[in-house]
Amino acid sequence: MECCNAKQTHVKLDHVSFSFGDSVVIRDISIDLLRDSTYALIGKSGIGKSTLLNLIAGFLKPDLGGVTIDGKTVTGPRKETSFLFQELGLFPWQTVFQAISMPLKMRIGSKDHSAQVMSLLTELHLEPHKDKYPHQLSGGEKQRVALARTLICDPDLLLMDEPTSALDAMTKEELQTLILRQRQLRGATLLFVTHDIEEAVLLGQTILILSEDGTLTAQENPCFAIQNPREDISFYNECIRIRKLLRLEAS
Amino acid sequence: MKQFLKRLLSSQLAGFIGFLFIWQILHLLLKTHTIPSPLETLAYFVSVPLVLLKHTGASVLRVSAAVGISLVLGIPAGLLLGVNKTCKRLFSPLLYFIYPIPKIAFLPVFMLLFGLGNPSKIMLILFIIVFQIMLSMRDGVSQIDPVYFKVMDSFCVSQRQQYRYLIFPAVLPYLFSGLRISIGISLASLFFAENYATQFGIGYYILSAWTKMNYVEMFSGILALGFVGILLFYLLDRLERLCVPWQKQNARN
Repeated sequence: MECCNAKQTHVKLDHVSFSFGDSVVIRDISIDLLRDSTYALIGKSGIGKSTLLNLIAGFLKPDLGGVTIDGKTVTGPRKETSFLFQELGLFPWQTVFQAISMPLKMRIGSKDHSAQVMSLLTELHLEPHKDKYPHQLSGGEKQRVALARTLICDPDLLLMDEPTSALDAMTKEELQTLILRQRQLRGATLLFVTHDIEEAVLLGQTILILSEDGTLTAQENPCFAIQNPREDISFYNECIRIRKLLRLEAS
Repeated sequence: MKQFLKRLLSSQLAGFIGFLFIWQILHLLLKTHTIPSPLETLAYFVSVPLVLLKHTGASVLRVSAAVGISLVLGIPAGLLLGVNKTCKRLFSPLLYFIYPIPKIAFLPVFMLLFGLGNPSKIMLILFIIVFQIMLSMRDGVSQIDPVYFKVMDSFCVSQRQQYRYLIFPAVLPYLFSGLRISIGISLASLFFAENYATQFGIGYYILSAWTKMNYVEMFSGILALGFVGILLFYLLDRLERLCVPWQKQNARN
């Protein structure tokens, strides 16, 4: 299903199917994700949202069909794709500064990248914590460090698996604003998995609903561009509409 | 007085003084030459510092050589067992087979292969501790959270980078645990390793005093061995704090 024609296709899923043993998780999904757009992927727990993200990231290979990014078939993880894991995966032995500079060291191999790292630390309000280890950080700070680690190499595709789960309401709001601003600044394509319908309506230009039968439906989000959506009644109306759709898909 | 007692109880010396106290009670209760008075033993201990230093020095050199070689052999072998599933499947049963066997049983073989000098003594200690290092490394790798490997995959890293940024730092705490156990075992095994063809070593010193039935000398040797243990563990703790700073902070939190 094509979302719109103004933008170029970035990620293409072509009749992708995937199963774990006998259980089909993803069934014949075809979709074009457009460059510089944001997509929220929602659906019931354990339905295969993270599996779809893993297929696009190249961690899993589809049983049928294929995933292409910029016309190239995905055969494994690519350097231009960044993945924000639900578990974050921050190494206990790395300070905030070391964690954020690690991708640069590994991908680009540049020797002095402290200026770049410091600039991102400032942007994400992490400068005072740069010498701290993960266990010395709060949940929101850890989440921001993991976000910084995915952003540092300027990826063209950002995949996020429940980026704000396990956070309190205020911290969640802060992080959502941060994700939105960073995506706009960097102009990357964003696909994120969430359980939170409000988050999906807030951050997703297009909302993708994964059904229990493994199929996908796309819903344009008219509230995406509005200013201060949380203070606008149409935002909540859209949340109600998506919730109804989700219920319908589940039943 | 109350303040003094409080300070004493909170200091690290309290345990040692308690140990000497129990020793003194045993000495008084049993009234045998086999358990000399701790004061007499300490007096003897300070009267022969150079002799004890010479013997402990020889032992520390042997232990250091054995620990050094077992690290060189045990770390890569243990990592291979942890990383490579085929190696783990093939060699883990063998490791479990050899690990509990008392290695002292192989002493005649070591004597035959490496002679009666230092090499056979070092090989015996090495053979006792290398499996501990290997198992620590293997378990360290298997304890790494799978999501960390996924993070590394997402950065498209080389195998060298995977070792540099993930595997080595992740197994470091396990290496220190293994090393702590190994040093303890190797000091204990000096008693066997130094009971033949040598005139230097704290194991030899203790055994020689035992055969002479000079229990004051024997216990001063045991004390010296204990102090060597304290020194080595202290140095290891310092090194661990330096190399694994996140671990200590974690524990404190």
